[in-house]
Amino acid sequence: MARRPVSLAVRLTVSIGAVITVVLLTFGWMIERSINKHFVQQDVDELNAVVQSLQHTLATLPQNATPEDLQERFAAAVSGHHNAQYYISSGTGMQIYASPGSDLDRFAKISRPVQKISIETVGTWQDHGETFRGAVLHTTPDSTPGLKKFTIAVATGINFHLHYLESFRTYLRVITTIACLIAILATWLAVHQGHAPIRRISREIRQIRSDQLHIRLEPHTVPAELVELSISFNDMIERLEDVFRRLSGFSADIAHELRTPITNLKTQTEVALSQSRSIEQYREVLYSSLEEYERMAKMVGDMLFLAQADNNLLKPELVKIDLGAEMRNLFDYFGAWAEEREVELKLSGEQICVQGDRLMIRRALSNVLSNAIRYTPAGHTVNVTLESSMKVATIRVKNPGSVVPAEHLDRIFERFYRTDASRQRGVEGAGLGLAIAKSIVEAHSGKIHASSASEFTELRISLPAVGC
Amino acid sequence: MKLLVVEDEVKTGDYVRQGLAEAGFVVDLARTGLDGHHLALTGAYDLIILDVMLPDVDGWRIVQALREAKSSTPVLFLTARDSVEDRVKGLELGADDYLVKPFAFSELLARVRTLLRRGTASSFQDKLQVADLVLDIPRRRAKRQDKRITLTNKEFALLELLVRRQGEVLPRSLIASQVWDMNFDSDTNVIDVAIRRLRAKIDDNFEPKLIHTVRGMGYMLDIELRG
Repeated sequence: MARRPVSLAVRLTVSIGAVITVVLLTFGWMIERSINKHFVQQDVDELNAVVQSLQHTLATLPQNATPEDLQERFAAAVSGHHNAQYYISSGTGMQIYASPGSDLDRFAKISRPVQKISIETVGTWQDHGETFRGAVLHTTPDSTPGLKKFTIAVATGINFHLHYLESFRTYLRVITTIACLIAILATWLAVHQGHAPIRRISREIRQIRSDQLHIRLEPHTVPAELVELSISFNDMIERLEDVFRRLSGFSADIAHELRTPITNLKTQTEVALSQSRSIEQYREVLYSSLEEYERMAKMVGDMLFLAQADNNLLKPELVKIDLGAEMRNLFDYFGAWAEEREVELKLSGEQICVQGDRLMIRRALSNVLSNAIRYTPAGHTVNVTLESSMKVATIRVKNPGSVVPAEHLDRIFERFYRTDASRQRGVEGAGLGLAIAKSIVEAHSGKIHASSASEFTELRISLPAVGC
Repeated sequence: MKLLVVEDEVKTGDYVRQGLAEAGFVVDLARTGLDGHHLALTGAYDLIILDVMLPDVDGWRIVQALREAKSSTPVLFLTARDSVEDRVKGLELGADDYLVKPFAFSELLARVRTLLRRGTASSFQDKLQVADLVLDIPRRRAKRQDKRITLTNKEFALLELLVRRQGEVLPRSLIASQVWDMNFDSDTNVIDVAIRRLRAKIDDNFEPKLIHTVRGMGYMLDIELRG
């Protein structure tokens, strides 16, 4: 068994949820990145400020400064930059001063000096559980006598930045997760709510039973997306109602058509048996019964044929059929009968061929032709025209006669349908001939159509044509 | 001529047997597939009529067994289902003809006679004669009391059929299928009209009348109406 496709609500929720999650994650990542960058920039600014102060101090340093003097001067230079640590050495690598508690002499020796401190050039390292950001640079204060060269290493502890970032990241993750969950839940609710009209239609459809096929959905009360669905559904119900009505009619007709001959037989036999009669009279009753049976057997046979057609059990054995030859054969068959009714038969048109079951096609054409002959007044002509165009073979059987009202035209192919309700039973068969013709034509992927105008009735059969 | 009828439906079996017996055949009736199977293989029959739908051994198996035993006895099968597959299956298995229920007894009789006649030399005769009616088959001419009668092609074919099957009741459906190749009933009285016209040419100015209407069944050509 094929697996059921994933439900629409799940599909929509998953796809919308995925999009929202990606958007929120990207957003969070960007915020985090920009804050981080902001911190780095802040550190760089501070380091630059420290370096500047130190340079200034170096430039104004007297030659004979004592260590106490140096400490005082440098401490004053970097006052306000509590986190900053620094280390200054002379060009020869001799330490001139290091801020208290700092441990930058190693860093100053191994790091590559930079021209200018910026986000790109600043370095980060860890020392004794503290994370630092800093840089080393050479400087030659202009005013220093003797053009002395100095090396300055500065650093600032960034643990508090990192702590802040860490907690911010956690906070961001929680917020993102909650936002995602809320968004997905909202999506699911919206989708579920969006499907409410479908559930409503489903409830309405469930109420339609075989005796309420007249119920229709109302397309203007549903959302635009469902209009087409409800129209299609209405069309389907329309067709079902039509078939259902016809089938009910068919069953009723069968009962009626069989009841009449059975009543005749029963009455006739009862009357015959009610008193003693001559052999001749009995024989007469039996003959009369025989005729009645004959008719019933034929009707049952025809109905079986139609039932097979309804169940798609007609399996034509396809051979190439020359419709002209077939028609001439039928003219030959019906010729004497038509002549007696003073009806002329005329065939015209081109040679056309179809693929079909010879017996069935012959039966369909015979039913259509005999129908035409039957309704043609004496002294007139039934015209049969064969033509083909665009791979369609068309047989037109046209006969003069009273105009068939439009409302009857499509119904003449219905079972037991007779244009004249009062017409006597038996005179013209059971009224199944054209229904059988229609079934056969449709089993051959063809169409049959009736039209009537100005004293003419025309039946047109179209079948897929093949080359002769 | 000895026939075997295998039919489980009691009434149908009885009436078919009675009808065939009254038509001059010796008839054995088997009411089960097993009996039928046994009789078909052991008895010497000229023709076997088989119902396809039997409760125990179905008709198809009997035909099969018969053909496997290299028996060429003609088999006519009766089927209730008018489906092409059934027909094709029956004929492929080696049955010779089939009839769809409900069938007319006259139709069954005509088919039986056709099958029995198959292979005999009578169809190669050049001249056929009934009373003073003479048919010249190769030249397609008919004469009565030495007077030439002009017939159309189909009229001659119809007359030839009636003469060849002299004394047999021919149902309308059989006439339509043999003369016009129309293997189905039409709602019209086409055959009656054709017979009426033939009668006008063959019988109207002559005695005795040869073509007889058998009411409710069909037509028959004979010197006098029997039964």
